[in-house]
Amino acid sequence: MGKSDMALLSVQNVTMRFGGLVANDRVSFDVPEGALFAVIGPNGAGKTTLFNIISGFFPPSEGQVVFAGDTITGLPQHAVASRGLIRTYQLVQLFKDLTVRENVAVGCHRVTRGGIPAALFTPGWARKQEAEVERRSRELLDFVGLGAQADMAADKLPYGQQRLLEVARALAADPKLLLLDEPAAGLNTQETAALADVIQRVNARGVTVLLVEHDMSLVMKVAQRIAVIDFGKKIAEGTPAEIKAHPDVIAAYLGGTETADA
Amino acid sequence: MTSPATTSTSRWARGVVLPVAAVLAVMVFALNSSGYVVTVIGFAAIYAIFVTGLNFFMGYTGQASFGQNAFAALGGYGSAILSGNYYWDPLLALVVSMAFAGVVAAIVGYPTLKLRGHYLAMATFALGLITYEISIEWTGLTSGYMGISGIPPLGVGRYELGTEKQMLVALTAFLLLGVWISTRLRDSRFGRALRAIAGSEPAAQALGINVARYKLMAFVVAALYASCAGSLFAHFVGFISPEVFGGAMVIQSFTMLFLGGIGTTWGPVIGALMVLMLPEFLRGLKELQDVVYSCVLVMILIFAPKGLAGLVALIPTRRAPAAPRPAEAK
Amino acid sequence: MPDLVQFAQSLVNGVGVGLIYGLVGIGFCVIYNASGIVNFAQGVFVMLGGMVCHALLSKLGLPMIVAAVLTVPIVALAGLAIEFLVVRPMWDRGAALFAIILATLATQIAIERLTILTLGDQPRTYPEFTLGGPLKLGSIAISYQLFWILGCGSLMVVLLWLFFTRTTAGRALRACSQNREAAALLGIPVSRMLMLSFALSAGLGAVAGILVTPMQVTAYNIGTPFGVNGFIAAIIGGFGSAAGALAGGVLLGVLQALAIVLLGAGFKNVAALSVLLIVLFLFPSGIFAALQGSKGH
Repeated sequence: MGKSDMALLSVQNVTMRFGGLVANDRVSFDVPEGALFAVIGPNGAGKTTLFNIISGFFPPSEGQVVFAGDTITGLPQHAVASRGLIRTYQLVQLFKDLTVRENVAVGCHRVTRGGIPAALFTPGWARKQEAEVERRSRELLDFVGLGAQADMAADKLPYGQQRLLEVARALAADPKLLLLDEPAAGLNTQETAALADVIQRVNARGVTVLLVEHDMSLVMKVAQRIAVIDFGKKIAEGTPAEIKAHPDVIAAYLGGTETADA
Repeated sequence: MTSPATTSTSRWARGVVLPVAAVLAVMVFALNSSGYVVTVIGFAAIYAIFVTGLNFFMGYTGQASFGQNAFAALGGYGSAILSGNYYWDPLLALVVSMAFAGVVAAIVGYPTLKLRGHYLAMATFALGLITYEISIEWTGLTSGYMGISGIPPLGVGRYELGTEKQMLVALTAFLLLGVWISTRLRDSRFGRALRAIAGSEPAAQALGINVARYKLMAFVVAALYASCAGSLFAHFVGFISPEVFGGAMVIQSFTMLFLGGIGTTWGPVIGALMVLMLPEFLRGLKELQDVVYSCVLVMILIFAPKGLAGLVALIPTRRAPAAPRPAEAK
Repeated sequence: MPDLVQFAQSLVNGVGVGLIYGLVGIGFCVIYNASGIVNFAQGVFVMLGGMVCHALLSKLGLPMIVAAVLTVPIVALAGLAIEFLVVRPMWDRGAALFAIILATLATQIAIERLTILTLGDQPRTYPEFTLGGPLKLGSIAISYQLFWILGCGSLMVVLLWLFFTRTTAGRALRACSQNREAAALLGIPVSRMLMLSFALSAGLGAVAGILVTPMQVTAYNIGTPFGVNGFIAAIIGGFGSAAGALAGGVLLGVLQALAIVLLGAGFKNVAALSVLLIVLFLFPSGIFAALQGSKGH
């Protein structure tokens, strides 16, 4: 009791091995309800593996993931999603043949109901629901600033806006926890700033956000609390100010990226 | 009327009224023509139903099945045997065969749809081949190569559709119903989930869509259409044999799907009509018919992979922003 | 109850036809390894092998050996034509996997119809290469053609092995199968390899067709069963390994022969297709791979 039942998401001693390689080594942290939490680390630190474990893409070798009081370790991804843990992808995964608005409408899947009979006979509740999906989609597109593009084909959007669309689509699923996988990847400075603004406003709506990110500037700007991973292990956790001053973090970032870029 | 309502009306006109009017016009033309034209148009209607089902699985959901002819065979033989040998009411035979095909699709689809890529392609192809082989070899039930003849025409109770033209009217009704269902499902929560799977399975999964279940449902719906088309063929022609549901049917139906436009609601109808009218322009080349179909299909696959309708789509036909319909008062 | 002789006889026949399946299976693997494409028209080469050889024998009156030797390059040319007219244009445009499969399937139908128009739709056959059989071992009859199949089959495997290990083109083809991008960076003409693989695979199919025709018959429509059985052989062998495909073919041939004894000849294709589905559902990476995997654990 105590600390962990306040946490919306609790990652407990998660270890992941691929053959001889240890991608995650006993990683633990708690994301409290309403937080804007970030996991950072140099390239190849094991962030994406951790992200995939939390979202149910594959199960960990050891350890548990507890979400909203339930253990979700090993559940298939759609089951994890239907509990309200919604993820985005590092490489934008849009429904290309659908319009921008329809993309967001698909996001409403989790919070709507009805199958073939409802589609065929459109009873009153189904029609109301469709109207609500329509209204909600437009509201969310306005929220991320894509209201004017609602009826465009999704793949005609510039990349930065595709990223925003993905966020709007995830929001349509009414997430309890929104997992963002390197959302700033491939964005320019201006687009990253727009994204940072949206992430903060999403959090202000009461959505808990877990951000896994390589881009330090974005994380330092928006995150309230940060965990740092290097070589699969958590090496630090704290507020942005604490993390900036942490000697291990400085070493990891100076040692890691600088030589990699050289 | 506010302006959004007007655009929704024009969408209604373009998407529903026009095509329905076109189909009815073709039927009226057929009803005033000779028996031969009636037959061709009848075949077109039957194939259009089959391809509409295929479109569900391949167009909307983005999956591949090379064995939908298996379910057409189930429908055709089901109807032929139940109504021919056991004197069931043809409509009842049709419905029961459809139910049977749906159950079979759910059972075989469950393991099959877990496969991917060329394994999925080969497994579905094998389903069609198995059905074909069984329809040849189980002579006690199917009369083998000889086929089954003397299948009664469609009818309800005492009333029988005696002439081809009466039957054509019934086929038209079936077709319009089939396309109506396809349209309804496409623009619903269910259809959106299918089209999301076609766009990106990981993203659909991450939004809580049970991808495996939706794929299976699309497969079953496609099988129901196929079975219905098979039954209608049996009652329309009065004769079926294994060749009717053989490999050539697969190629023909794919040609229709790609010619008409994969993923569109009316594409299958247009494609079926075009493909079956093709031989009329190639008189004297009757034997080359399948060769021509194959070549047309390959050309489309190379040069216009979204189908000829993909070219038409360059004209702006994006769905107008449909206004939230005023919730109807109870 | 089938007796022991019947049982042994069916084993012998099964090995023979199984080797043929193995050759077709290798044909699938050669193209797949070079390009990642599964050519659904593979069985057409077997059909063409038998039909063209028969035409050369009966219409031109050529001696068997000449007809057989001429047939292989003719069918290989057909393979090149498919590559050039159908597969390459799609490959260059980055067509979807299932679209390419569909196109090869359509090609098969077209070739079958053209075969009917030019060579007729009647089943035909020609005599065994060595007359005077079969060889009697007790009550078991072994047709001389079986020895031809064994001999030519082994010869083909040895030649293939030499080709893949000793020649530049063969090594390049193997490099493509490991990693096409890397092979392209090394300056290997990947697209020419695609051509080569189609010619090679068509030639193999032709050999299979020429060899098997005296034991059965050939007709325009035998392509699909041979293609499917070859595919099953390749799948049993783990798709991609030539040795695996050959072993898979023999296993399938024997299984099918037993199914004929137990169920009757009519359902042999149903039995083979059921094997296909079972293998796909249970061992998607191949039976041999599954066996090795379970040993490893």
